[in-house]
Amino acid sequence: MGDGRNMSTITVSRLSKSFGAVQAVHDLSFTVEPGTIAGFLGPNGAGKTTTLRMLLGLVKPSSGTALIHDRRYADLASPITQVGAVLEATAFHPGRTARVHLHVLCKAARLPLSRADEVLEEVEMTSAADRRVGGFSLGMRQRLALASALLGSPRTLILDEPANGLDPEGIHWMRAFIRSYATSGRTVLVSSHVLAEIEQVVDHVVIIRSGRLVWEGTLGELTAGRTLEDAYLHLTREAQS
Amino acid sequence: MIDLIRAELLKIRATRSTWYLGVSAVLFCAGWAALSALVFLGSAAQETMSAEQEITNVYQMAQMAFPFTLLLGLVGMSGEYRYQTITWSFLVSPRRDHVVIAKLLAYGVLGLIVGVVCAVTTAAASALFLSVRGSAVVAPAVPLVLLGAVASSLLFAVLGVAIGALIRNQAVAIALSLTWFFYMEYALIAFFPEYARWLPGGAAKAVSGMHLSTGELLPAWAGGLLFIGYTLLAATFASRTTLRRDVT
Repeated sequence: MGDGRNMSTITVSRLSKSFGAVQAVHDLSFTVEPGTIAGFLGPNGAGKTTTLRMLLGLVKPSSGTALIHDRRYADLASPITQVGAVLEATAFHPGRTARVHLHVLCKAARLPLSRADEVLEEVEMTSAADRRVGGFSLGMRQRLALASALLGSPRTLILDEPANGLDPEGIHWMRAFIRSYATSGRTVLVSSHVLAEIEQVVDHVVIIRSGRLVWEGTLGELTAGRTLEDAYLHLTREAQS
Repeated sequence: MIDLIRAELLKIRATRSTWYLGVSAVLFCAGWAALSALVFLGSAAQETMSAEQEITNVYQMAQMAFPFTLLLGLVGMSGEYRYQTITWSFLVSPRRDHVVIAKLLAYGVLGLIVGVVCAVTTAAASALFLSVRGSAVVAPAVPLVLLGAVASSLLFAVLGVAIGALIRNQAVAIALSLTWFFYMEYALIAFFPEYARWLPGGAAKAVSGMHLSTGELLPAWAGGLLFIGYTLLAATFASRTTLRRDVT
């Protein structure tokens, strides 16, 4: 175990989560293979964020398992060097600068502080390194979140609605970034409710609705000549009725 | 663990509220020492006191550092929930207990530093203004008064982290802590004076008042241990409850 040769990068099996009476995720299973860019699609409130947070050990499943590199997140050795995560973009201390935020993570994970400048360069934020995050636009926060995810040079990225708050140019940039990251066998799981954002980059698609799996497979199988939007709307409407 | 502590110390250094509260503590303690040397020394209210007691009371203003370090701990921990930076902390260290233990230790260091700086500046201000008044500048109890001030500063910073871990709402955590130490505990003691020594504030007074020997409170070492016990109780309770909650 652990060399990544013949295991899935992400394995979700029979995963369920209830918040009180609300069943957010219901008996969900899917896998993401190494080297793929998987799109995690579904309407708002479908359970995407809850699923991703269960993968990252932030939310405790009611039942079932969510594994990354065949382990629970909590059992990964120095997890941020294996998995990078971009969650909601507001989660920064407004009084700290971008560089301090990254240095805190470097110290906690025993990474060299020089990584902070490297990832800021990667997300093209070097000029904002010493500005306080409180004054950042949503798009800049997204880039800083991405920079944080890249700190440990992980081979797997989990991105929750990474294009939120980005302008068209930013979305274009994000797409190009995901594409280049996934070369050399690295893996991306990216959630979105805006199909156009990810249609051009994903090669694997997982669609959920109301916490249940609606469809899983390659993009080619899903669309079969249709646009992703047509296929998606067809499937999610079917699931609703 | 040492890595997590280093990360916490960087957060402390890089946060402006740390500096505001730290500097406020120093100005408050030294300012009150100056004021009490200039205004109250030899005043009618203190006629019953010995000269040594009066001098000791001036230096004792160093002990007013504790509400500030309590706030530092509270703000430092509950701020993680408030700004959701707890998400990053838990992504780096899925062992949630370790995040809080690192913070308890880091704020112990901060409480010690703030306590020492307050003690030194308050002692300097006390000596200066006592000599201005033409009074003697030292009394036998002064070293213990300052030691007690440093110890309580440290203990309250750590307690602040434990309470902040337990109560996620920053405003509620601050309001409850301050009302407890400045109001509720006094109210309780009014009705049950025999329990005063066992309450958190009584335990803290046993430490900060180590130069006294009233017999009403525990010995300083026992008071210190009891106070740490309360802190560990809050931290343990937090790790069983608040820290287990989903981070959404």
